[in-house]
Amino acid sequence: MKLTNKDLIKLYGDMWLVRLFEARVQDLFASGVLPGFIHLGLGQEACMVGTCFNLEDGDIIGATHREHGVLLMRGVSANAIMAELYGKVTGTCKGKGGSMHTCGLKEGALGNNAILGPGQAIINGFAYAHKFRNNKKVAVTMFGDGASNRGEFHEGLNFASVWNLPTIYIINNNGYAISVPVSKQQKIQDLSARAAGYGIPGVSIDGNDVLTVLETTAEAVKRAREGGGPSLIEFKTYRWRGHFEGDPTPYRTNSELEDWMENRDPIKNFGKDLLEREVLTEKEMKEIIAEQQAIVDAAQKFAEESEWPPESEIYTDVYYNDEGGAQ
Amino acid sequence: MREITVAEAIREALSEEMDRDKNVFVFGEDVGKFGGCFGVTMGLYDRYPDRVIDTMIAETGLMGICLGSAYAGMKPVAELMFSDFATVCFDYFANQASKNRYMTGMQEGGQAAGLVVRAPNGAGFRAAGQHSQCMEQYFMPIPGIKIAIPSTPADTKGLLKYAIRGNDPVIFLEHKLLYSIKGPVPEGDYVIPFGSADIKREGTDVTVIATQMMVHKSLAAAEKLAKDGISVEVVDPRSLKPLDMKTIMASVKKTKRVVLVNEAPKTGNAMTEIGLRIAEQGFDFLEAPPIRVCAPDTPIPFSPVLEDKWIRSEADIIAGIKKALS
Amino acid sequence: MLGIIANPSSGKDIRRLVAQGTVFDNMEKVNIIQRILSVLNYAGVKEICYMQDSYQIVDRAVTYLERNFKINLRIKELEIKYRYEQNDSLLAASSLLQMGASCIVTLGGDGTNRVVAKGCGDTPLIPLSTGTNNVFPVMLEGSVAGFAAAVADIDKKHEYLKLKQKKRLNIYKNGVLVDIALIDAVITEERFIGSRALWEPETIKEIFVTVAKPDSIGMSAIAGSIYPISEDEQKGLYVWLGNNGNVETNAAIAPGLIQNIKIEGYSEIGLEQKVNIKTKTGIVALDGEREITFGKNDKVVIGLSNDGPKVVDVGGTLVAAAKEGYFKGRWR
Repeated sequence: MKLTNKDLIKLYGDMWLVRLFEARVQDLFASGVLPGFIHLGLGQEACMVGTCFNLEDGDIIGATHREHGVLLMRGVSANAIMAELYGKVTGTCKGKGGSMHTCGLKEGALGNNAILGPGQAIINGFAYAHKFRNNKKVAVTMFGDGASNRGEFHEGLNFASVWNLPTIYIINNNGYAISVPVSKQQKIQDLSARAAGYGIPGVSIDGNDVLTVLETTAEAVKRAREGGGPSLIEFKTYRWRGHFEGDPTPYRTNSELEDWMENRDPIKNFGKDLLEREVLTEKEMKEIIAEQQAIVDAAQKFAEESEWPPESEIYTDVYYNDEGGAQ
Repeated sequence: MREITVAEAIREALSEEMDRDKNVFVFGEDVGKFGGCFGVTMGLYDRYPDRVIDTMIAETGLMGICLGSAYAGMKPVAELMFSDFATVCFDYFANQASKNRYMTGMQEGGQAAGLVVRAPNGAGFRAAGQHSQCMEQYFMPIPGIKIAIPSTPADTKGLLKYAIRGNDPVIFLEHKLLYSIKGPVPEGDYVIPFGSADIKREGTDVTVIATQMMVHKSLAAAEKLAKDGISVEVVDPRSLKPLDMKTIMASVKKTKRVVLVNEAPKTGNAMTEIGLRIAEQGFDFLEAPPIRVCAPDTPIPFSPVLEDKWIRSEADIIAGIKKALS
Repeated sequence: MLGIIANPSSGKDIRRLVAQGTVFDNMEKVNIIQRILSVLNYAGVKEICYMQDSYQIVDRAVTYLERNFKINLRIKELEIKYRYEQNDSLLAASSLLQMGASCIVTLGGDGTNRVVAKGCGDTPLIPLSTGTNNVFPVMLEGSVAGFAAAVADIDKKHEYLKLKQKKRLNIYKNGVLVDIALIDAVITEERFIGSRALWEPETIKEIFVTVAKPDSIGMSAIAGSIYPISEDEQKGLYVWLGNNGNVETNAAIAPGLIQNIKIEGYSEIGLEQKVNIKTKTGIVALDGEREITFGKNDKVVIGLSNDGPKVVDVGGTLVAAAKEGYFKGRWR
């Protein structure tokens, strides 16, 4: 894969943006500022950043409540995402969706589907439209090991394979569906083995190595654009926090978490490689981190200073023309 | 005016809309060469072979395609083989399509959810409990969805064209027994907007609000009662969401008595909502409580002898009208 | 006791995404193991120890066996710290060596055998090919492999067990032996290990092979297309690529992928000879996978030696065993 230094530096900075954004969300939630539920993607940055690197304008990606990072990678402003988490009118969804439904439709980020399953079927509709329009765009759906047990996974893959749609199914296997470990969820070890049942290629890789993620998704995207049909990719990864903020994680051991945080941190390991390859110096790394931090700080300030939605917003956007809304 | 069947009216609507807009496409189980289980899409495949698509038996996968392509700006018209199957993919109505504009704050690029799901409704085919239901009541509580429930070929064609051109998710319920019913249908292009009820028969003594097959039975009942000097007004809502309460209330204000007739079981029936609104808004001038004529709270039995008794008859409607007048 | 190390057709190999579909090749591996186990059971082998894998190849084979035969064979999963990665094969091989296994049957490509070779010591190997892109393993029907393994299990003194000593490449980084390869070591200008697969042929600068076989695919085929060297010859080949030479060749570098390759020069490597690589920074790929990074301050040297793994000569062994009457008599 021909990656320039510029590409590598961008990947590094992007992973830091996701990490710092999520870390700030964690703090804000802990201090009681953010209402509702938050599901953090800390630890899974490489999965999001590596995948989105290969997407262009017109492609679409739908992910879950854990992937605020995907929205950031598609170019949705950190300000708008943060404001949506606060519930302010300047949020991506005017405060009417929250973390569970935030998205950036014109940037090609379908965002969350808080019901785990429909996203895997709905994405095929986008893929179908791409195919119908013959525009060489792709449609990606990213979800977890738990969601891969929904009926839609199977119906969706079947549709995508029979109709030869440019869909890419990505499983972020972080070992647990809330508290249930993968060993209690599936009989197989590598979830990509399910691809064989639909006659499409499937592959399981290290989701915490951003270049492996990038290379693998690049191949799948290329295949889909060229009319080669769907693929199934499994990223082996781990989430640093509980399923939701407030989850005490009694189902995992501290040593397991420490091993992943110490030895398999996607950003730390990539940073080491970059230093060794002399792509970045320590000083330059600090500058990059500071830049991303500034974006996050600005997002928080923007959200804090934004207005709440007016009461009239309860009644709007029910129907397309707001006809016969709430009677 | 020329007369065509409901099935022909649907076929015309689909064909005209597919000519008019290249983004309209039809899919469902066996809709292609087979022409659909009730023969409604017969011939469409020959005209648009790349836009009439057969799917697997996978309603959730199918609805996913429907929603995703609608969000991406296409105009899918899906066919569920029986309206009973809507519960298999109910999430797509209840949690997905209906809410997408609201939860995304009507974002640019995704506010369209212009999808239509057509489905045959209703009993009388001896198809037993899981293939004979009227399903409109399940959709009544969902904000953001539209429900079409036509009873004539002309209403069917106009509402379907309106639904396809719109940008909201529509559950378009057709009655199995009505497919072969003939009725006058204007030539040329016309649409019927949702939220416009139709007075099928004018009268002064009692208002009967009815849907689908019950409209025809109510009209027959009204004809009989006319000989006894009772003047019955029959109002057909044509769409349950949005609902034309204005026409309904005007009628009730005139007659001061109302009978609500719907083929589904009584509890939670679509008529329950209408009845309560009439009671709320008409309390001052109603001279009798609203009367409901609905099926018993049981599944639909198979045996023809039982099914025929389960489905409310003309006699049941007449009894209901007399009760309202007593 | 003998060992089995079977790796599933990975799930890990992203070249699958480039192909137009998948094949149930893991089920074929289960079939092969089934046949081997049937023969071992029949031949009275007492115990086998196997490496668990993410497709549970051996477990599936055992399930079939238990349904259809009376099993006298003790079948035990090796107790190692499984990560379902490449390294499991190394831990499994070392474990089997320590436990004194009479031989190890492997199912996997050049990559699997390379890792096994790092841990198996003198334990004889029966490396079975599963049909793709493999130079080291051999194509052999499962039952035949089963017999060879059964013979290895009883012939402790190697009276009729015939072994072939394989060559290997040794990779030294800054004076220290860091890794080995069984077939090829390739120097590429790639900078990161990433998905491991060798993607861009243009980045390949230098090739070292233990065997140069025109009847193979990959690096050995490139070398073999200009200067064949067989398994029995006590030498290897070093080829360096570039536009400044006067040799052009054509070879299949991957299944179905034939390329024109411009060669600047090549020379034989003798046993114990060490060669300094020419490329300043890049990655050393071993038996098809990117493994070792090196920078401008690193010195990388590649050598050839005769201490690769010992591989069972199945044909020679079974002929000798037959002549000794091994197959005769009543076994059941």
